[in-house]
Amino acid sequence: MTLPEQIEQKKNMSPGSPLSALKAGLAPGPACGGIQLASCLTLARGRVHEIMGDSADVFALMVAGVADGPVYWIGSWREIESLSPTGIEDFLDPSRFVLTCCLNRGETLWAAEQALRARSAACVIAQLQDGPDLRESRRLQIAAEEGGAVGLTLLRGRAGNSAAETRWQCMARPEGGWEWICTKHKRGMPGAWRVSWRGKHHAPDLVPLAATASA
Amino acid sequence: MRRILSLWLPRLPLERRIRLGDARTEGAFAIVAESRNAWRLTHLSEAAGKAGLVPGLSLTDARAICPSLLTEPADPSREGALLRALWRWSDQFAPRVALAPPDGLVLDISGCAHLFGGERAMAETLLQRAGDLRFTARIGIADTKGAASALARFEAAPVAIAKPGETARALEPLPVAALGLDPALLNDIRRAGFQTIGQLYGIRSAELARRFGLALTHYLDRALERVPDPVVPASADPVYAARATLPDPIGLQADLEEVILRLAGAVCQRLGTAGCGARRYHLLVRPVDRPDEVMTVGFARPNATPGAVLQQFRRPLDKLKLAFGADFFRLSAESIEPLHPRQAGFSGAARREDDRADLVSTLGNRLGFDRVRVYAPEDSHLPEREYVTLDAMARPDAPAWQASPRARPIRLYHPPEPLRVETPGRPPLAFEWRRQLYEIARSTGPERLAGEWWQATGGAMRDYWRVETRNGPRLWLVTRPGLAEPAWYVAGQFP
Repeated sequence: MTLPEQIEQKKNMSPGSPLSALKAGLAPGPACGGIQLASCLTLARGRVHEIMGDSADVFALMVAGVADGPVYWIGSWREIESLSPTGIEDFLDPSRFVLTCCLNRGETLWAAEQALRARSAACVIAQLQDGPDLRESRRLQIAAEEGGAVGLTLLRGRAGNSAAETRWQCMARPEGGWEWICTKHKRGMPGAWRVSWRGKHHAPDLVPLAATASA
Repeated sequence: MRRILSLWLPRLPLERRIRLGDARTEGAFAIVAESRNAWRLTHLSEAAGKAGLVPGLSLTDARAICPSLLTEPADPSREGALLRALWRWSDQFAPRVALAPPDGLVLDISGCAHLFGGERAMAETLLQRAGDLRFTARIGIADTKGAASALARFEAAPVAIAKPGETARALEPLPVAALGLDPALLNDIRRAGFQTIGQLYGIRSAELARRFGLALTHYLDRALERVPDPVVPASADPVYAARATLPDPIGLQADLEEVILRLAGAVCQRLGTAGCGARRYHLLVRPVDRPDEVMTVGFARPNATPGAVLQQFRRPLDKLKLAFGADFFRLSAESIEPLHPRQAGFSGAARREDDRADLVSTLGNRLGFDRVRVYAPEDSHLPEREYVTLDAMARPDAPAWQASPRARPIRLYHPPEPLRVETPGRPPLAFEWRRQLYEIARSTGPERLAGEWWQATGGAMRDYWRVETRNGPRLWLVTRPGLAEPAWYVAGQFP
């Protein structure tokens, strides 16, 4: 199908019909669904999302808690070792975790790609220092589209120019709860939310901060 | 007419040490084993024999007689493996060879002896070849297994042959112990006054059976060929391996993969027929210009799928640089375990389990299986000992998790990271950690935990404080109580 044909078909199809989107080849197969974190926030499956900030762990754990299936946490030995399942159990069952310790950035990216490509993972969390570049993130993106898992890259340092679907800045608020700022969204609007959480059996409660915020 | 050759290796455990190059065997040396509530000598070196020691002596007595005696405990499993190796070696003499543990072999040489120039020449050849391997051997040849082994063990000459049909006469002068009876039964027979096997010939079997039980008549009947006692060769250990020798060397990745797939198909088919899977596969590649390369891949679960084997070998094959190609390949399976067939359900749980095992294998084969881990709970009150991590490969099913009764951080730093106090307090009102200044807004604590005093490395008593900082992060601070100059650490981070 050539590009003009695709555009033509896009014009003809009824808006919001996932079936027609699938037929048109515009939406990748397993990526149709999303992980609904809250009533107003859905994170696309089969995509890679970038999380930054000092409480990026919490964001990742909330996403992993909602995703159903094994969770692969990939990172350096130091990062993996400091994770504590006794605290994680407030978010999800630690027996769902498979920890993968890598020695360097190359191994981490390779392991993340393998885990995303395999269909067993529901959520793949890769911890990196600096964000993946365009080529690295595109590879992760393709692997995620094949496997259908939601991929999260937790960045300690700077984010690069990447192919990530969304990018989040997560901070803990001094008065309790967190602040999530979506600084990039390929198919939606960025926004900012104040988030609170009332335990394992509740969805996080999101309150938009700015008037422009929307999911 | 059956002809049986019994090969006895009287010094097998000792000669195993000699073959290993153990220098102690040149002096007074003995192999010892535990029997009748004591360590006793079983096999002696020549020097130990000359010092006046005999087999069966207890180790304490032997040390009193010969203070310079050096000993080594018997290793039945390795000696058994050595005997098994000899069993494979001895099929050069006869097609039907059985093991007679712990130190003998039985060969059915019917119709084989003439190939070596007669029975005596055959026995001499066997002795010589065993001698080349540094084994002392004794040989008995007779019509039955019992008679041959009696001759091997109880005749003075290294080769004892009973002519066809003369078994009874050959056994006549031998002691009753040559029948290989149970020690208690042997004691009874000796107490009844029987010394040689010949003395038993005159007694009717019914009377022997009434006095000593059926075991004695069984042994006697088998030795004298009144009942059949065939040599039953043991079957070889199954080896799951396949090899390919090619007329011309190949080097292209696609060709290599095709060869591996065919070899894996052959190996996996045999594994599948046996209802087994392998946890490890070795691939030997012989490049034409270099020594052999051996690659190994592991699996999280026993596996007998050719595609999965190829999938795991793809990466090592890719790294293999073949300038001139390779023409010999051998794939062997190891760590064979039974494979339980399962029905594929509609829920996809079984398939998901397979996918998980595949992924763990893929990650483990590159990173190392010790670096793919899962959590398991532990019974302790100390935060750093409430859980352990296990190899994901060792635990194909993740262990069930038990909830911790106390609120614990999601990041736990062990050992805790020191912080620099800016404004002192209990806990400090302001501090610097990881090059960032924190001011405390609220704090809860202390939570005092005693160390595990019943363990050598139980740890000391500590006080934990849960603090909320003005910057946002909620930290877990720890200090040792009762110190004049308290040192503070960050033990963890709460969500």
